[in-house]
Amino acid sequence: MSPAKIKQLAAEGRHSEALAELLVQARATTDYSSYLSFCRLLPRVVDAAPEDTHRQDRLRIAVLGGATTDFLKAPLDLELLAIGKPSTIFFANYNSFVSEMLDGTSPSVTFRPNVGVVLLTPYNIADWPAVADSAERVDSLVDRTVSHWLGLCASFHAHTNCEIVLSNLHLLQTRAAGSLGAKLAWDPNSYLREINRTLARKAPAYVHILDIDTLSTIYGISNWVDPRFWYHAKQPVSFACTVPYARNLAAMIGALFGQTAKCLVLDLDNTLWGGVVGDDGVAGLKIGQGDAEGEAFKAFQEYILLLKKRGLLLAVCSKNDEVNALQPFAELPDMVLRRDDFVSFKANWDPKPGNIEQIARELNIGLDSLVFVDDNPAERELVRRSLPQVKVVELSNDPADYPRLLDQSGWLEVVKLTEEDTKKTDQYLQNMQRSATQAQHGDYESYLASLEQRAVLRSFEPQHLDRITQLINKTNQFNLTTRRLSRSEVEAMINREDVVTAYVRLIDRFGDNGLISVLIGHVDGDTLIVDIWLMSCRVLKRGVERLLANHLFERAREMDLRAVRGVYIPTAKNKMVENHFADFGFARTATGEDGTTYWEAPVKAYRPEPVQISVSMSTDDVV
Amino acid sequence: MTEEQIWKRLTSVFHDVFGDSDITIGPETTANDIDEWDSLSNIQLLVAIEKAFAGVKFNTGEVANMRNVGEMVSLISQRAR
Repeated sequence: MSPAKIKQLAAEGRHSEALAELLVQARATTDYSSYLSFCRLLPRVVDAAPEDTHRQDRLRIAVLGGATTDFLKAPLDLELLAIGKPSTIFFANYNSFVSEMLDGTSPSVTFRPNVGVVLLTPYNIADWPAVADSAERVDSLVDRTVSHWLGLCASFHAHTNCEIVLSNLHLLQTRAAGSLGAKLAWDPNSYLREINRTLARKAPAYVHILDIDTLSTIYGISNWVDPRFWYHAKQPVSFACTVPYARNLAAMIGALFGQTAKCLVLDLDNTLWGGVVGDDGVAGLKIGQGDAEGEAFKAFQEYILLLKKRGLLLAVCSKNDEVNALQPFAELPDMVLRRDDFVSFKANWDPKPGNIEQIARELNIGLDSLVFVDDNPAERELVRRSLPQVKVVELSNDPADYPRLLDQSGWLEVVKLTEEDTKKTDQYLQNMQRSATQAQHGDYESYLASLEQRAVLRSFEPQHLDRITQLINKTNQFNLTTRRLSRSEVEAMINREDVVTAYVRLIDRFGDNGLISVLIGHVDGDTLIVDIWLMSCRVLKRGVERLLANHLFERAREMDLRAVRGVYIPTAKNKMVENHFADFGFARTATGEDGTTYWEAPVKAYRPEPVQISVSMSTDDVV
Repeated sequence: MTEEQIWKRLTSVFHDVFGDSDITIGPETTANDIDEWDSLSNIQLLVAIEKAFAGVKFNTGEVANMRNVGEMVSLISQRAR
């Protein structure tokens, strides 16, 4: 669809269609000029749209840099919209980052950002080693440079309490000592590498490194920079590479605020192996050594396995007879992926959108956390039209490109990996065993008893901050208020006397479900107000809801409070908890125009609910 | 490439870059004549011209000192293949 057609859609009042079309087209284009024309069109489509009814607050992003950042304005806007994080962005003046970050009354501070983006280039380095400087001398220069920048971040963080995205540095195009430079500490590129390593090592939890070093290497440093425009306008990156720059930055900001992929949905024929198993037979498929294409498909499977190991779930969605689709997994030794690497396996002749919806339902995750990978452009188009929330990766017709294209899609960015992530697939497979047990038991209470559930229930502790923050930022369904908090904001609640915090970790005879529920409340006069109550859907109706309700009233009683109050803020995704407070005997006190409901229950009248979970308040005796 | 062909293609580059197909250009046209022509879109314009005309590359001095569209056209006609 051309820009003119998109304009026409907008003029006809079909704004959301126009916007969706624009974002898909812009992300699919590889040509910078046409990308820019979509950027220019964006304000016309957005400004013409009726007031945003989305209740989620816009993010506030301050962009600071040691270079011109104007070039990022339009692309960053577009990329943030495309990942579902519309934002208000403040661009600080050129090269003003030092004063902006130190001064508590600077425009960037008073803007009250959720995220500060600090973009640096090698030109921002004040101290370079002299020729023949010793390794010790170079180390001290590295320390000075890194301390200066992280010190600025600390100051900005103290002023704003925001998360900070700090770019590291690309290398130079020149090598005064040639290849020997790799061995010399004073060599400019050796120095830059050491600064990047030290930044990564010393960055505190609120500083997230935007890895320009690797990104510029992937695209080639000679493509990444255009020195003419640096000298002319202090433009730090070439136009051709502006898009990956903005896309990576937006993906990182999205990931910081919960926009992360949870499951890869994969086609089989000509996506995971070469050929069509139903036609060519297992023996005719290309996978593994001995065939160029087969090696390319194998490399793609290896990349996918790595994604699985770091926490992504895998699912199959293929037009095939199931018995044929399973055969290669069982019979071909060169297949890297195995049947049990997948938590869901849909091989049938039904349209893919229906299968994909079913996968999301089975796994209890939102459609927007699915990434769909299919070599067939028609299937991709169908999924894009039918399920606009699903992220669809554009593949080429060459398997050698697949890993890179999936990797550069920007859908897979992640800011934190927790222990839970690396065990994700196991946890889902255990869940399936639990469902099978439930089917045997018929009666739900006896099923719960058969699970032999144990839980740890404790106030927030520093070692669990990453996981708690992750849950707060990505839980959408069982979430009463969908309030998002940064790690620093969560940390600030530990040990506050007027704040009640609790997390639950649940273990049963099939395995450890990990830390799966979070509750935060604060005391206001004689009432305890519930600010956040959320739970991972994979432990729905296992009793953790009741366990936390009992705990909530217990804490209120200990603090001698009169009542507990709660609020339910409706979103597109959390309808499942609209009656949550009613279920625990709360009375509705008010209803807002936007559907928000307010609830209250007296502490004295609360009767604890029965729970089939043995609870431990200490972490030791349960594991 | 004839002068006429250059003007035709250059005009369409201007239309693309500034998103306005009503723009007309002549030898005396400068940044003052086109609202959206600022320092950022100037770089976008030069990159788009280099892409539209094979063989054309502006050096650093030309990037900084080009005064009007006439100068652009004369550089393009010297270098375009």
